Amino acid sequence: MVKRQITYEKLWALKGISLDVADGEVLGVVGPNGAGKSTLMKMLARVLPPTEGRVVVRGTVAPMIELGAGFSMELTAYENIVMYGTLLGRQPEFMRERAPEIAHWASLDDFLDVPLRSYSSGMLARLGFSVATDTDPDVLIVDEVLSVGDAAFQQKSAERMKNMIDDGASVVLVSHNLQTVLEIADRAMWLDQGLIRLEGDPEEVVAAYQASVG
Amino acid sequence: MTSTTYYDSDQARRPLVTEFQNLWDNRGLIRLIVGRDLTLRYKRSTLGIWWTLLNPLLTTGVMWIVFGQIFRFDVGAGIPYIVYLLSGILLVTFFSQATIAAGSAIVGNAGVLSKVYVPPEVFSVSAALSAAANFMISIIILLVVQIITGVGIPWTVILIPIPVLAMLGLTAGLGLLIAAAAVHFFDVIDLAAVFIQLVSYLTPSFYPISIIPDKFLFVVYLNPLYSYLTVFRGFMYGGEFVDWWMFAYMVATSIIALLLGVWMFSRSWRSLVVLL
Repeated sequence: MVKRQITYEKLWALKGISLDVADGEVLGVVGPNGAGKSTLMKMLARVLPPTEGRVVVRGTVAPMIELGAGFSMELTAYENIVMYGTLLGRQPEFMRERAPEIAHWASLDDFLDVPLRSYSSGMLARLGFSVATDTDPDVLIVDEVLSVGDAAFQQKSAERMKNMIDDGASVVLVSHNLQTVLEIADRAMWLDQGLIRLEGDPEEVVAAYQASVG
Repeated sequence: MTSTTYYDSDQARRPLVTEFQNLWDNRGLIRLIVGRDLTLRYKRSTLGIWWTLLNPLLTTGVMWIVFGQIFRFDVGAGIPYIVYLLSGILLVTFFSQATIAAGSAIVGNAGVLSKVYVPPEVFSVSAALSAAANFMISIIILLVVQIITGVGIPWTVILIPIPVLAMLGLTAGLGLLIAAAAVHFFDVIDLAAVFIQLVSYLTPSFYPISIIPDKFLFVVYLNPLYSYLTVFRGFMYGGEFVDWWMFAYMVATSIIALLLGVWMFSRSWRSLVVLL
């Protein structure tokens, strides 16, 4: 008896994409769901190898594609900070030193030795963001993680992002928040069904994308 | 430690070299993962660390009653059956735990692998190392039992890391082989579990080799685990080096399994990450 199962057709998430991001440039990527934006981010973050073509990234990378990878609920925030930071490419010893500072930035000082199991989703998000951004990267890959926490925290996060950009990081930002893209991007790209529909000035690209949706 | 400051997807990957380089680069992470696994093991159960020690003792206790008292196996050389049994149980458990853990480590860590770049082989090797760490801890009970039964602790005990290292190579290699296959066909893990059971029965852990009919002896001799067990027992309470053939077979199978596992993994790595 043959098992009935779903078969997958081969689908190219991205086709013929060619892009360059210069030093210190902020590229905003917009597009509908399923456009291939996440796939692009993952390829830049080295999580997915390209099936065809080539990806070259120069410099240290801070990927922010879903925070809190490897968070273990049974362990304390301290242990998780060290683990998460190490997974992101830093050294365990360095993370142990940074842990109090990281917790402090997320206003979680008193909860450093508390198991993550007791954290609210907001606290988890703040912790994840704090660890992920506790770095001075050359390349920042951000995928929709800016909108966590309350208004005060959102402002704090935006400031931190701004500092990284001012320090010269190249940024690839994927966002559905078109306002953010308009505010901080130097260039923008509209991705749809794996293809680049338009690339260039953020205002033009955003306008074109919005027109297609509206 | 993925602090590569230059990523080029076209960079040729050299089988074996790349993997070992990755493992070395990520040694901090590996140490962290093994430590975390040990911590979690103790935190979860109310008995904590005692469970790691108690568990094999309970299994051994039951088997001792059944095989030692009812079947009355004679394991020769004046060795108390319980020592023979416990040493066998511990080693075979180490083998099966390590292989299954290493085999399911990549699929098991799909969550992390789909968000952050970490060489997948790091997880398999860490799993095997965790099992080795557990084994070393549970050796304590064996030492205690040896003292209680008057067998004592020969100086050769300090050589125990050798068969442990060999077992690490064997299980890491097998684990990587299974892990790479498991991403394509998840059932491989279940098949591996059955295979491991089979190998366990073919290893004289709870029975002496003398009860095997002559014509079937070669099967046991072929079983790599038999050489590991013999060397281990020899060092643990035999106080002697067993014959060199056993030792050589143990080392050879370890190296071959490791190289084969890493090599096969290297070949299937690309499709592996995409399928996760």
